[in-house]
Amino acid sequence: MPNTAEVVKPVASLMGVTKKIGSKTLISDLTLDIPPGQIFGFLGPNGAGKTTTIRMMVGLISISRGDILICGRSIKDHFEEAIANVGAIVENPEMYKFLTGYQNLRQYARMVPGVTKERINEVVELVGLSQRINDKVKTYSLGMRQRLGVAQALLHRPKLLILDEPTNGLDPQGIRELRDYLRLLCQKEGTTVFVSSHLLAEMELMCDSVAIIQNGRLIEVKQLKAVGNVLVPVGETLFEVDQPEAALELMGRGVVKDGGIAVEAVREEIAELNAKLVAGGIKVYSIKPLFRSLEDQFLEITGGEGIG
Amino acid sequence: MGEFAALIHNENIKIYRRLRTWIMLFILAVMSALFPALIHFTSGGNEVTIGLWDSFQTTVAIAFFLNTIFTALVAADSVAGEFTWGTIKLLLIRPWSRSKILLSKYISMVLFSLFSTLLLIVFGYGSALIFSSSAVDSIGGPTMAWSQGEYVFLTIMCAYIELFLTAAIAFMISSVFRSSGLAIVLSLSIMFTKDIFIAIFSPERYEWANYLIFAHMNLSGYLLSDTGPGGATLGFAIAVLAVYYVIFMLVSWVVFRKRDVAA
Repeated sequence: MPNTAEVVKPVASLMGVTKKIGSKTLISDLTLDIPPGQIFGFLGPNGAGKTTTIRMMVGLISISRGDILICGRSIKDHFEEAIANVGAIVENPEMYKFLTGYQNLRQYARMVPGVTKERINEVVELVGLSQRINDKVKTYSLGMRQRLGVAQALLHRPKLLILDEPTNGLDPQGIRELRDYLRLLCQKEGTTVFVSSHLLAEMELMCDSVAIIQNGRLIEVKQLKAVGNVLVPVGETLFEVDQPEAALELMGRGVVKDGGIAVEAVREEIAELNAKLVAGGIKVYSIKPLFRSLEDQFLEITGGEGIG
Repeated sequence: MGEFAALIHNENIKIYRRLRTWIMLFILAVMSALFPALIHFTSGGNEVTIGLWDSFQTTVAIAFFLNTIFTALVAADSVAGEFTWGTIKLLLIRPWSRSKILLSKYISMVLFSLFSTLLLIVFGYGSALIFSSSAVDSIGGPTMAWSQGEYVFLTIMCAYIELFLTAAIAFMISSVFRSSGLAIVLSLSIMFTKDIFIAIFSPERYEWANYLIFAHMNLSGYLLSDTGPGGATLGFAIAVLAVYYVIFMLVSWVVFRKRDVAA
């Protein structure tokens, strides 16, 4: 039984990670802890250094300065032990095209101890490839390859699943399924999922927390979901009314917006304001909370800059 | 962490599950079987005039060219192919060090070369048995300490050493430049131009040419004479080849271990 008093150890820690190629610094002093049992988003515009960071996390490229620990083992010094805890897709999941999907999975299954045929079938079932698993990969669509990619990453039940742009090439149905089984993995098997993307709306639906990077620097780490899976509201509420100006005068605060009044208010105040408006003879069509979407926040944080 | 044999098994699958490999092996088998027949029919029809070993030796000499080219192709693709396909990213994130992965690739390539050589011998010898008669003695030829059969198998060994080194060069270039095209072209051009090179920079005239790999790749001369090009001994030749081989392997391993995989 885990000791509740114990501090939760991160599944992966990036400690002052820097990547330089020649004189160009791609990643600069990135420090980040990925807590266990979460879906952790890694967000940034194109060219921000997401894939470079992921490549360092899985040991494909060297780390110029700093270190990355996975389950407490350094990817630099104890590669084999550290990487054994990781399942990953880096960029597009490229497979051996002359082999079938199943033969591809067998390739990876042989490289780790304890992956049985039953486990392979289980994973194939999970990603929904049972119908086509015995076809050659060259006949697969991008979405099917993406699913096969997820399957190879899950085979050995990794503690940390790293997915680089996993929704690329998936149709809305596929994205939905991916989200559902990532959630399932997270809850049932306690797998920590580290997922990079530039698709904000996707991340918002999928992740518990996000780290935002830009130009190789960590900008912010945000908790998206409070307990109970509710988006944290910023507290602005929109009253949709027939006479915005009159309503504004009556309420004495807020701003005219989208054919209504936007006003900062807590729960009780909303009912009071509504009563006041109705009593004043103003028709209220709807009252809805205004969230700032992650997209708005993201653009605000990164300043909507281009690739820099 | 798992069984190393499984890694070699994986690499073998990548070689033998490709149609290309079977086309190469098929061509090699057909060529090996065809030459004794050609020699038979072009040298006087029904009257058997060519001995078994002569027929076999000629076949080996020709078919080994193909064998070397095909093995170089397999060696060239072994590392570079993974980069071209993009599969290297999924291969290197397993709990295996890069050294072991490269070793499994190298071993599977060597196994292929042994298999193709065996195929060549079986088909060539089988066909030579059918299309010749061992009753006929060798026509002339140098006098040797060996029987003809022994001599032929020793030349096969020499040819295999040449193939082995050519494949090592292809494997190294494949690992360093990650381009199978370059690996094939460079390794095969060494195979085809080494004689011309040695003719120009003869070890007899230039002392330093003695230390070139070109001068020593073909060891079959030592079967008939004690000294090779430039008065080198067999021991010296083997030492030079060994040094080159170690260098090829070191370069392959060091580069494969250190380089970033950003493909």
